[in-house]
Amino acid sequence: MLPRRIYQFLLIYLIGLLLLFAVKYGFGLSDYVIPGPRDVINTLKTVCIRYFSDVVDTFSVAVIGQIISICLAAAVGIIGRRTTWFGSFVKVAAYNVQAYPIVAIAPIIFILFGDGFLSRLLIAAMICYFPILLSVIGIMSEPVEDVEHFYRATGRMRWQLEVKIRAFENLGKLTTVISGSATLAMAGTIVSEFIAANAGIGYSIRIALYQSDLSRILIALFLIGITLSIYQGLLELCGHLVKKGWSGH
Amino acid sequence: MNPIGPKFRMMIIIVCAAVLTTAGLLRADNAAAQENLTYRLKWLFNVSVIGDLYARDAGFFEAVGLRVDVKAGGPERDAIRELELGYADFGVASADQVIRARSKGAPVVVLAQLFQINPLQWIYRADEHTFEHIADFRGKTIGITYGGNDETIMRTILAKAGIQESDVHLFSVRYDFTPFFQRRADIWPVYRNAQGPILADKLNAAGEPVGFFNPADHGVRFVANSVVTSRRALDQQPLIAAKFVRALLKGWEAALDPANAQKALKMLQQYDKDTPFPLMERQLEITRRLIKPAPDVSVGRIDAAAWRQTEEIMLKQHLIPAPVAIADAIFPPGSDD
Repeated sequence: MLPRRIYQFLLIYLIGLLLLFAVKYGFGLSDYVIPGPRDVINTLKTVCIRYFSDVVDTFSVAVIGQIISICLAAAVGIIGRRTTWFGSFVKVAAYNVQAYPIVAIAPIIFILFGDGFLSRLLIAAMICYFPILLSVIGIMSEPVEDVEHFYRATGRMRWQLEVKIRAFENLGKLTTVISGSATLAMAGTIVSEFIAANAGIGYSIRIALYQSDLSRILIALFLIGITLSIYQGLLELCGHLVKKGWSGH
Repeated sequence: MNPIGPKFRMMIIIVCAAVLTTAGLLRADNAAAQENLTYRLKWLFNVSVIGDLYARDAGFFEAVGLRVDVKAGGPERDAIRELELGYADFGVASADQVIRARSKGAPVVVLAQLFQINPLQWIYRADEHTFEHIADFRGKTIGITYGGNDETIMRTILAKAGIQESDVHLFSVRYDFTPFFQRRADIWPVYRNAQGPILADKLNAAGEPVGFFNPADHGVRFVANSVVTSRRALDQQPLIAAKFVRALLKGWEAALDPANAQKALKMLQQYDKDTPFPLMERQLEITRRLIKPAPDVSVGRIDAAAWRQTEEIMLKQHLIPAPVAIADAIFPPGSDD
């Protein structure tokens, strides 16, 4: 699972890079428009360590943001699965929060919380929570009749059991959504860093853009991509292990 | 039964063919008479591009047989890249962009320098600080945009006075001015002509007089916006380049002429609807001083010494690995090369 993720990413990145070089040499473009391989390698040597630490910084914020959004989406999904007035109210509130574009809210967040860790965390959580929420609500609102009927008929059904049954039956879907939301969490953190923070890979990309340095951006994209691929591979592995543990074989 | 007879059908076909042929001929004739060009600006439509828009809207381009599509710039736009990719014929770029591009082999050339004084300056509260001398920066919190022009300029200023980074506190600037309003920074970078009057108004309304620090007053002349094109375009169509620059600079001269101020501002208001007219009037007055600082200075003059200084600054700060011989990239209209 993990090695597959990594080599798939490497393949995609390499194809992208080759395509860029083909355009560069095909149209005779200068290194300013598209950097050449030597320029990219030289930049890699210069910024690799610094950018890697920036990516780790961004990644750590993204992971915490993702955990928060999973907890939030799970709580909202579990409450919102009921067809009561409160359940519907929670759902409406959760959906509305997502209706506002993050780039419009971000400056307010930065004014309130400063340009440090908290703002980045909040934006990362806000960006990645909605897809998780949609899936959780979808899964939690859908009864697994075959199994649930027995517990209902015997009067042993509790809400915890109901949640557990529905989660187990849809573990594959949940794992995919959580794994996919890692990308959104990372993107959210990078967006927040790009807009206003003064740390992380998004901030470094902003500086590279100011200086029209596409080589640095290519290095940043590589480091972001490889980190995400490893993380997503690990999440899928965890999902697989949890399912194996729950099913007892 | 078909209600349209064969004769009538034939007539319709002939009429359509005639209309299409005439339209095609007219279009071809028009294209021959007028050269279609794309001009990519550096920033969004505001007072800093008033002359560019005026040259088009007041018919200066048309008068020399050019039809110019003036396109707004923005943070994600890079005129030099567009020139090389063929999306634009002319553009506006800052000197550091030109020097960086030349350093990476981009065949970009400079045709005119719009701002004689860089509009990128610093604002401060005049009742709390004075920045008459560079030494006044010692111990102060200075706003800079890491990676931006203002960082390069400020580091040059500090180096000039022998001030180390440890002697000041550098504050990372972002899009909004809140940290300056909150006094978290003592001095903040602004575009003197566009943002300067807005911030000054806000602070003056709160009873806080402001001052502006202009690096050029302290010998740091970092060139700002200039008109650029590709070397290939200049070689292939030198007449068009000359026509374009002359019409553009005439447009600028006219837009900055106090006699045309109302007309130019009314034109600008069509593009910049959010800026109140009285504010625009003041912005234009400041822009005039930055583009034509003295009556004998012609609009578009290329300050070769300032270009060389800009290159030296970038070299010193390792923003370029080697000299780019920037003088070789300067081609004012009428120059022989």
